[in-house]
Amino acid sequence: MSSAPQIEARRPIGVNAKHLRWLLVVPLTIFFVVFFVVPVGLIFATSFNPQTIGQVSVTWDLTLENYVRFFSRSNYLMAAGRSVLLATLVSLITLVIAYPMAFVIAKTENAARNTVLLILVLAAMQLDMVIRIYGMMVILGDNGLINQMLAALGITDPDQPVQFMYNFLGVILGLVQFSLPFMILTLVGVIRGINPSLEEAARSLGATPRRTFLRVTLPASLPGILSGSLLVFALSISSYIVPALMGGFRVGVLPIHIFQQVAEGARFQFGATIAVILFLISAGAVTVYLRVGARHSGGLA
Amino acid sequence: MSSVEFKGVSKAFGRTVAVEQTDLVVQQGEFFSMLGPSGCGKSTTLRMLAGFLTPTTGRILVNGRDITDLPPEARGIGIVFQNYAIFPHMNVYDNIAFGLVERRQDKATIRRKVEAALEQVGLTGYGERFERELSGGQKQRVALARVLVIEPEILLLDEPLSALDKKMREEMKFWIKDIQKSIGITTVYVTHDQSEALTMSDRIAVMNEGRMLQVGTPVDIYEKPASRFIAEFIGDSNLLDVTVVKSNGTRCDVDLGDGLIVPAHVSDTVRLTPGSSAGLLIRPEMLRLAPALKGEGPRLTGKVVDRVYQGALRRYHVAAGRHELVVEVPNRPELSPLSPGAEVQLFWSEESGVAVP
Ligand SMILES: Nc1ncnc2c1ncn2[C@@H]1O[C@H](COP(=O)(O)OP(=O)(O)OP(=O)(O)O)[C@@H](O)[C@H]1O
Ligand SMILES: [Mg+2]
Repeated sequence: MSSAPQIEARRPIGVNAKHLRWLLVVPLTIFFVVFFVVPVGLIFATSFNPQTIGQVSVTWDLTLENYVRFFSRSNYLMAAGRSVLLATLVSLITLVIAYPMAFVIAKTENAARNTVLLILVLAAMQLDMVIRIYGMMVILGDNGLINQMLAALGITDPDQPVQFMYNFLGVILGLVQFSLPFMILTLVGVIRGINPSLEEAARSLGATPRRTFLRVTLPASLPGILSGSLLVFALSISSYIVPALMGGFRVGVLPIHIFQQVAEGARFQFGATIAVILFLISAGAVTVYLRVGARHSGGLA
Repeated sequence: MSSVEFKGVSKAFGRTVAVEQTDLVVQQGEFFSMLGPSGCGKSTTLRMLAGFLTPTTGRILVNGRDITDLPPEARGIGIVFQNYAIFPHMNVYDNIAFGLVERRQDKATIRRKVEAALEQVGLTGYGERFERELSGGQKQRVALARVLVIEPEILLLDEPLSALDKKMREEMKFWIKDIQKSIGITTVYVTHDQSEALTMSDRIAVMNEGRMLQVGTPVDIYEKPASRFIAEFIGDSNLLDVTVVKSNGTRCDVDLGDGLIVPAHVSDTVRLTPGSSAGLLIRPEMLRLAPALKGEGPRLTGKVVDRVYQGALRRYHVAAGRHELVVEVPNRPELSPLSPGAEVQLFWSEESGVAVP
């Protein structure tokens, strides 16, 4: 008896749902255009304008001189290389540290224990990066906990502390610390998503737990390894605050150069050029990763 | 020779007992099914045998050898999962070769065996494919080939057909049974589908709430169920409330009410005490309908309440006193349909009435 009116009532909702979808899509599109497409487009355009100190607006005067300048100066090329090396190393180190942690979290079946572990991981993300970096200074600085301990144990000379900060190592440590939660969360999701009967099938086919991990679990978590590394690579290569604070401006990666061009020299056009190159490097990395991913999962990205 | 033996095996997860103390023997080469509703402990029993779960109590023996403490990889038991568990990052060839690689066989031997396995399951030429390029039935075949190629002592199948459509299921049912018979491998099969169990099995264990209620041949289970639960779980059933009048081994007399006393059979695992209430099971296809008094044997008088046309047969609902019965009549020209309201006699042969506690 009640079913007929229900059907009648559903029709108009169905029509509304269609409108609703547009209502959701339109603001999203506007948001995307206003806050992503336009700024990125302007930066691209700016990079093709001749370098004019202090000028922000885009003109029709197009030139490649900024790109020529970038590629003919070895310090910019080295900065690009340094950025790629840094991001690659951070991805690798973060992966090596994160994988075992993610594995343990993913395989912890006890719900309470699992929640505690995840909260610990997330806790690292609760504080702003600047605050976390000051925390790291307390540990890694010349008079930091580690150096005090090393000196107290007589391993190092108190007058010659180990340089954990204001160098390449410091930037790596800072970025790894920053990236770990992202990598762990990505990996936990993927490892948890692996059908447990895959591992059981491997075991009953004669594989020991170690062989099962190597032949089944690890390859099956490759999508997570790839997307996690990609995420960390992108976060690291574009990070400004960590190289600035942990590297003390002495580690000249591309974001530092961008900042110097724009904020210190008001050279917007050349800053934009470096930004575009940084963007292209990131995009290139994404492409390479997707190719590798496609190959290793048998055509499925 | 006994191939699998459970001695007092039970499994508890915290406070829930998934499998109660079970003693069980599966013979060499036997196709043994565990049949029961969802959550009754079928998979748990199978997973203890495979080595994925450790029994809370008891020992498990395979060919006389105690395997209770062996890890899965040392048991020589093959398992096919409901979702097939094909390794997604390997092609069909490497999936099937997996166990052989673990056994460190040389490349040429592996190639020969994998090709033979592919042929055995009718997938020659599919070696390069990946899981997502296979249909459900093909995945099933790969999963079976992957297991058979390592020549396990025991084959375990956990609801291997439930992810397939009906037609495929029918086909695979016979196909699996054929392969099992041709290599003579001891097989333990888990299902909640009674028709699968009846078709394929040498013996069936009917389970409920962690307990094996009855273990027997398909004919035993269908025709001499040991309880109401089994009678109702397997096939369609009429279960009439009766009182036991006389009990003598595998035969008894039961009172249908109003002093109507009929003879019935009893499973030899069951003892009925006179005076106790019981159920009288008569399968719908065992009943005959006639408008007038004729024939011999036990009978009831009733009235057709409803009639359902089902193509190959007609199902009648008949009210007979306080009992309501379903009768299946083959759709044949000489058996002209009866209309609702018609007075009918219900006959069945003495053999087809079974008393269950
Ligand atoms: N790992 C586990 N932890 C806790 N309880 C479990 C676990 N595995 C199974 N159980 C419980 O044990 C009981 C039996 O489960 P089992 O998987 O053996 O059922 P099943 O007969 O295979 O059912 P289905 O037909 O649904 O597969 C269920 O009540 C289930 O909730
Ligand atoms: Mg199950």
